[in-house]
Amino acid sequence: MNQPLVTFDGVVKRFGDFTAVQQLDLSINAGEFIAIMGPSGCGKTTTLRMLAGLDQPTEGKIHIDGQLMNNVSPHQRDTPLVWQSLALFPFLNARENVEFGLKMRNQDAATRRKKAMDWLERLGVGEFAERNVETLSGGQRQRVALARSLVTEPRLLLLDEPLSALDAHLVIRMQSVLTRLQRELGITFVYVTHSQSEAFAMADRVVIMSNGEIAQIGQPRDIYREPANQFVAEFVGRNNIISGTVTGVSDSNLIIQSELGEFTVSDHNKVTAEGKDVTFVIAADLVEVSRSPMNKANSVECTLISEEFVGSVVTLFLESSSGTELKVQLQERELSTLDHTAGGAFYLGWDSDSAHLLPA
Amino acid sequence: MARTNFSGFATTWRMPIIVWQVLFFLGPLLFMIAMSFFLVKNYRMVEAFELKNWEKMLTRGYFWDSYILTFWLASLTTAVTSLLAFPASFALAFKVSPSVRRWALFFLIIPFFTSYLVRIFSWYVILAESGVVNALLAHIGLGPYTMLNTKFGTLVGYMTLTLPLVVVLQTFALANIDRNLVQAAHNLGCSPARAIYAVIVPLAKTGLIVAALFCFILSFGDFVSPYYLGGSKPPTLPILIIDTTKSGQQWPRAAVVAVVMMLTLISIAFAALALAYRKRASR
Repeated sequence: MNQPLVTFDGVVKRFGDFTAVQQLDLSINAGEFIAIMGPSGCGKTTTLRMLAGLDQPTEGKIHIDGQLMNNVSPHQRDTPLVWQSLALFPFLNARENVEFGLKMRNQDAATRRKKAMDWLERLGVGEFAERNVETLSGGQRQRVALARSLVTEPRLLLLDEPLSALDAHLVIRMQSVLTRLQRELGITFVYVTHSQSEAFAMADRVVIMSNGEIAQIGQPRDIYREPANQFVAEFVGRNNIISGTVTGVSDSNLIIQSELGEFTVSDHNKVTAEGKDVTFVIAADLVEVSRSPMNKANSVECTLISEEFVGSVVTLFLESSSGTELKVQLQERELSTLDHTAGGAFYLGWDSDSAHLLPA
Repeated sequence: MARTNFSGFATTWRMPIIVWQVLFFLGPLLFMIAMSFFLVKNYRMVEAFELKNWEKMLTRGYFWDSYILTFWLASLTTAVTSLLAFPASFALAFKVSPSVRRWALFFLIIPFFTSYLVRIFSWYVILAESGVVNALLAHIGLGPYTMLNTKFGTLVGYMTLTLPLVVVLQTFALANIDRNLVQAAHNLGCSPARAIYAVIVPLAKTGLIVAALFCFILSFGDFVSPYYLGGSKPPTLPILIIDTTKSGQQWPRAAVVAVVMMLTLISIAFAALALAYRKRASR
């Protein structure tokens, strides 16, 4: 395995009394598309700004390509950032914006112009080259901003919630533009977002941060199916999180008593003993729902509270007799068989293998 | 019945400023323009509509000498003041905490509490042959230099009037620019020094030009500095106005000078604002 392109070693960043990032250890491989995700104030943007040199770590070391970056000023790095606000220069037209980085590297006018035009063409905004950036649409400006960052052919591209200002349909289109570019160019993308769908759709690996610390690093699927802790399980969403006490251990199964009832959960690692308090997660899309009692290892009787319709997928919000809210995700076409608008009981059920036990 | 858009409330509140402008600006201005066509007979002004005053003034060398001098001094002051103010404004906008900036702006406004005339006279003590500056220079074996009654004196006076104001206006212009854009420039390989003219000045352009425009207008029309510190020889246009009214009650000819000054300032102001607010052409 090659040496990683970027490493954070015990990086801490404090702003006065506030600790934005604490004890961050992370390595990013060359050519990787990595997404850093977390709620507001979790330290994800600070982490990105430290890579660009816009903030200096209070403690620890950051290496890029084997070189210690702690005291390298922003303009001496080749770590272009695509800003959340895009930060296009309003006094320059689209082409001049793209040329800016080349101009700062003292390239001659003809070369600058050619490279800028090539990139604008490649991103499909060549025809707007001479336009005032303020007259462009959100999607066009986004592409100009991308061209401006890529024109210097960096090895590392930093993106700070670049799609957060776009309309939903443009987000999907830009996601495919970004993933395609990243594959074609083979450069490393570090992508900060609070959007799970963006992170999961594009990234090779996802870093989830909370309160300045890494809560979990892994491939999107692992994070989705095997959250490492309650924070990740809640943050990823559409998870039912149930806490209880282990009342019995048989083979690789645990019997867990909770206020919702008794459940059986697989424990392949066999590390949990009787009497322990544990929490397990059952993803909303792994729960089956029926209008009649089910023959499953685990089942709960509920009443329907509300439904959330997002196209082909529907989420039902249900309440058990003990008042706990549970979520079920199913295909829209499955909904018709449920006669869900009529009142009465709903029965939820899942296999003991579907539940994921959170590490203690 | 015709539909009216009369809003009693809004109009009532707008009236005072409209009345004020008509009574004390538009009225006198129109009268001054009319007066420039009057005649003076036996030291008395007579209503008339003759081009004599205009011919008399605009064909005289001393008028144009005075015009060029005034224009030149005001331009030089504008350039020097803007350049001297910029580092201070830059530091106040970017390098100090907001509370330091507030105090600094407060101290920059304090000079306006005292009479401009008093501030100009205080320069006598500093700039005179036996004044503070020459006394200090004598210690290192230089001087004495004549600074009063020179164009340098005039320039010092103009800057007394304009420098604090220009620093305040420039500081506001610089403090309001989007810091993300400056950081974006650094991120794209622009050194902090280069960012000043590559990004910061273009972003603050409107405010910087407005500050320079105020400097020009105040200097161009100032009477006190060229009279007391510049020694009034050769005269600037405001001094020419005074001299003309004193010599033979030539108010109409003074009005010609004043109208020319007004036209100059209006042209400069329009040009400056057009430049300040110019958007790049968009296809």
